Amino acid sequence: MRILIADDEMMSRKLLQKTLERAGYEVIAVENGRLAADQLFPADGPRLALLDWVMPGLDGPGVCREVRKRKEQSYVYMVLLTSKESKEDVVAGLESGADDFLTKPFDPEELKARLRTGLRILNLEDRLVEAREKMRFQATHDGLTGLWNRGVIVDLLRRELARSSRERTCTVILMCDLDHFKSVNDTYGHLAGDDVLKETAKRLLASVRTYDFVGRYGGEEFLVVLNNCDPAFAFARAEEIRKAIAQKPVPSSSGPLPITISLGILLSQEWGRRPVEELLHEADAALYAAKAAGRNGVKVARPKIASADSESQVHDPVRLRR
Amino acid sequence: MPQAMIDLPELLARVENDRELMRELLLIFKEEFPQRLQALRDGVASMNAERVAAEAHALKGMLSNLAAGPAANAAARLEQLGRNQELSEFQEACASFENIGKELLLQLDVCIAEVCVDEDSHRR
Repeated sequence: MRILIADDEMMSRKLLQKTLERAGYEVIAVENGRLAADQLFPADGPRLALLDWVMPGLDGPGVCREVRKRKEQSYVYMVLLTSKESKEDVVAGLESGADDFLTKPFDPEELKARLRTGLRILNLEDRLVEAREKMRFQATHDGLTGLWNRGVIVDLLRRELARSSRERTCTVILMCDLDHFKSVNDTYGHLAGDDVLKETAKRLLASVRTYDFVGRYGGEEFLVVLNNCDPAFAFARAEEIRKAIAQKPVPSSSGPLPITISLGILLSQEWGRRPVEELLHEADAALYAAKAAGRNGVKVARPKIASADSESQVHDPVRLRR
Repeated sequence: MPQAMIDLPELLARVENDRELMRELLLIFKEEFPQRLQALRDGVASMNAERVAAEAHALKGMLSNLAAGPAANAAARLEQLGRNQELSEFQEACASFENIGKELLLQLDVCIAEVCVDEDSHRR
């Protein structure tokens, strides 16, 4: 564990450094508060600090105040070293953001014990952050496939539609659904079905750019959002996804299974400003048109041209499907 | 028998029996003390209470680390006088501190020599 020592007095610095190095710490020693703050500011800076109270320029409590202003970084456990013993001084020190204080001259065993308390607190913080990140992941991802869950992928789509509208670019919706998935579950069991879903997720991710979004929309339904994408690229991508699933059997606990997928494509630039729910509904209609046309295929959702109502039409992506 | 200015057992405990470190601390003190003392004298001569308090505070820290109790107490008194702006006491308190300081430096040299001998015998 790295620890920062800030003390303008050389003897004190030397004594602290040796004591802490013997206790197994990696010590960074500086001689004033400004240098201490500079060391503690970066996200990868030391998380334990021993700060002399009285230093020229920025003093120990001043360093504590500056460090505590930076809320986004990991917690830094700070101990003030002081020969000040009045209650008012101690209160002022702790109110500046210090976690503890130690009276000079320090006893080596007490110093090490106080720092162990700091380590316990930092360890607790690490565990809390880890738990929070785990919960954040669980709240935003599908537990089986690791893809974005339905709520998040729809939010991401909404954001991308707003951006493409502002920037006059095109966002593409690919609504994908595994063909005859119910019969996979019925014939080979749910474990095999889960294997198919997981492998499909992998192949979808491998088929898109790193900045596109892939989410699990429902049971065997997936939603892919292609950002800033022209129609020819979208059709090619949809076809690649279809082939990525169909061309190679999917490994499962019941052996390799032949799986196919149907897709509905929607190009936002053809639809103008419409609510995301409406666009998803149209992409879904295109998907079901692909199913009706024999599955393992791709259909495009197109708005009815020069129509007074909002009825849509579904087309083959003619440039790709001969 | 003059009063012991450095509590050697306490200093040894503070450095966790690391005689090399103890020697280093004694040498750092020997080098730094005259400069700090001069700064204190300057503060007293100019009746600058803030400077007296600051320099006495620094000296008190060094002396405490060295387990030099009597000198640390004399520095603490000067620090307090500085904080309380008791200018009339400065000369007397500073003279008293300097007397203790002189004795401390004499004992310091003996200490350094002893530590060096001890270290050599430890090495052999």
